Amino acid sequence: MSSVTLVNSLAGLLIVTSLLVIEVKQPRWSAIVYGLQSLILVSIFVVLAYAMKADELYLWAASAFVMKVVLVPWILYTALSRVGDTEKPRNALGLTLSFVLAAVAIGISFIVVNQIKLQAAEPFKPALAVSMAHFFFGELCILTQRNLFKQVLGFCLMENGSHLTLALLAFHAPELVEIGIATDALFGVIVMVVLGNQIYRNLHTLDTSDLRTLKG
Amino acid sequence: MTETTYLLGLLLIPLIISLVLFASRWFGKATRFVVALLHLISVTLVLVLSLLIVWYVLTAGQIFALSNWLHVDALGAVFLLITGVVGFLVGLYSMGYTNNDLKTGVFDNRKLCNYYGLFSLFLFTLLLIVTANNIIMMWVAVEAATLGSAFLVGIYGDRASLEAAWKYVVICVVGEAFGLYGTVLVYSGAFNIMQIPGNAALWTEIIKNASAFDPAIIKMAFVFILVGFGTKAGLFPMHAWVPDAYSESPAPISAMLSAVFGSCALLVIFRFSILTNLVLGSTFVQILFLVFGTLSVAAAAFFMFMQRDIKRLLAYSSIENLGFVLIAFGLGGPFGIFAGLLQAVNQGLVKALLWCMSGNILIKYRGRDLERVKGMLQAIPATGVLMIVGALAIVGTPPFNIFISKFLIVAAGLQAGYIWLMIVCLLLLMVVFATFFRFIASMLFGDKPTDVVKGESNWLTLLPGFILLLLIVGLGLFIPSQLSALLKGASDLLLSGNTSAIASAKDILLPLAHLLP
Repeated sequence: MSSVTLVNSLAGLLIVTSLLVIEVKQPRWSAIVYGLQSLILVSIFVVLAYAMKADELYLWAASAFVMKVVLVPWILYTALSRVGDTEKPRNALGLTLSFVLAAVAIGISFIVVNQIKLQAAEPFKPALAVSMAHFFFGELCILTQRNLFKQVLGFCLMENGSHLTLALLAFHAPELVEIGIATDALFGVIVMVVLGNQIYRNLHTLDTSDLRTLKG
Repeated sequence: MTETTYLLGLLLIPLIISLVLFASRWFGKATRFVVALLHLISVTLVLVLSLLIVWYVLTAGQIFALSNWLHVDALGAVFLLITGVVGFLVGLYSMGYTNNDLKTGVFDNRKLCNYYGLFSLFLFTLLLIVTANNIIMMWVAVEAATLGSAFLVGIYGDRASLEAAWKYVVICVVGEAFGLYGTVLVYSGAFNIMQIPGNAALWTEIIKNASAFDPAIIKMAFVFILVGFGTKAGLFPMHAWVPDAYSESPAPISAMLSAVFGSCALLVIFRFSILTNLVLGSTFVQILFLVFGTLSVAAAAFFMFMQRDIKRLLAYSSIENLGFVLIAFGLGGPFGIFAGLLQAVNQGLVKALLWCMSGNILIKYRGRDLERVKGMLQAIPATGVLMIVGALAIVGTPPFNIFISKFLIVAAGLQAGYIWLMIVCLLLLMVVFATFFRFIASMLFGDKPTDVVKGESNWLTLLPGFILLLLIVGLGLFIPSQLSALLKGASDLLLSGNTSAIASAKDILLPLAHLLP
């Protein structure tokens, strides 16, 4: 299997894991599946590093492994364990409709990506379309899931999409750029988890439908 | 000291002081004094250094620092001026406002240190947005400012403020994920052309190579950037977090979010709009700006009309005023852009005044609803007068500063042939005027509630208001030549991408000289 096929196939697995992150019933399991997705992302970085002879990507893979495979899932898992993870997550749309919408998003992403003319990205257009579709998956997760921590995972999915785009289109970017983005995303998760914990402590809920005092 | 040192000092001072402020809780009895002193030093030095840098840009041109990762040109200097001046005055107001929170027991020493530490950190991230030349760092700064300010929004820890903080952080980080995607697309396009990874992230280098970009990438990137950073600016329809976050934050934080952060987010959009104009021509950006600007003004006017809460009214008024900035940029041409930049400066000052006064109302009345807030001229007459001035200024009444900028925007619209759009804008302004009139009349007159004791909270809650009043009236009567030159330099940059543009504003204002005060 060529490295191009491998990258595009691994990108396909990202779709599967994203849908699992959204639809798995226990939020703690979603955090674990997110870690698995990040591991696939790290694998893509390694394959790209080898195929494109881009040594920078090995460093990206290492920092992404630490932050996304280990730290973010651990932070979310621990936070969810502390609050009990007892609430039943609800999907406002229903499983079937979510899947249909996801398929439409992937289709649209393919059409949009086909208009981009970048020599380096030509062979990886399927993976690029997947990275763009992750914006929709993230939005889908945030809009349909009412558990606060599942919404954090929605943000994480979007951020993984951007990370993959950066790796596919600008793999020679200085390590500092990549670390800046990854660290900021990590801080994003930390801030949201701290706020989520505060909400649980003070308001005794993780359900966003209980947060409807402010209107108009 | 060189200008580079000023720039580094501008960023390092609030950053270092914020760390010390967080640690100040261990100073024991001296904590409150130390915290207030450090905070005052931070905002004062930021003001002085901002003014020095703006002066340098005016007289000598742009500044670069840190291997060109930092950069201030005329456009950046306009927003640095807003950040420095409003940051200082709101910082000063914070000291009076938190005194009251300490007195009523809402804040203890730990919360006070957190508040001031986060305030300084927030100021640092805002300054980083304004001075960033590296587009990735620009995004990191916007994200960091959002994350830092989220704790400030929810600092009171009650149901409403936590709910507002959650909404704020979730909607804004999702928006910024869009912003990141757009930024990454621009970086990728730049890297494809330049093949020098370091330079591909520098905005000044990207602009120089604009002609070689793939238009499809830039078109897509700009839409992502407009949606992403437009969310942070609170543009319609990405504005859902604005009324909640602005109304539930402590008043000084509402002022910083509304008067400074919103404008800084627009600055990022404007930086990318220069590139997009150079690659695609100006029509694409102008149409998007006109659509988002008009929708923002219209939606804000509609929601304002339905409000009974002064802080939510001001939140929607923020959307309306930033919408006008966007409309001005959408009209295009040197005249429209000059008017838009002037509107950004003016609305920053007036918004700061109104938010600070809304804080005084909250302190005195312990409520914000029209039913509760009555008889301000009896209870807090100085705040009442400042509130009248702020309200008259924000709706665009002469002789205050926003009259000039909104008048210039309408004149630019008529000059550009957008007659119907300007008629719609004027009608919407009438709705806004009527709404503010209803609020002010109801709040100022009548009998104050019996449990409200007459008297202002403390002089620090009024001093910044009076300084802002002088600036608002002053800029309504006279635009200093230095400010005109800075705005002209910034509009030249926005039109041509020439980063060293600074010139006299006379030629741009000459055809309208008879209309100006």
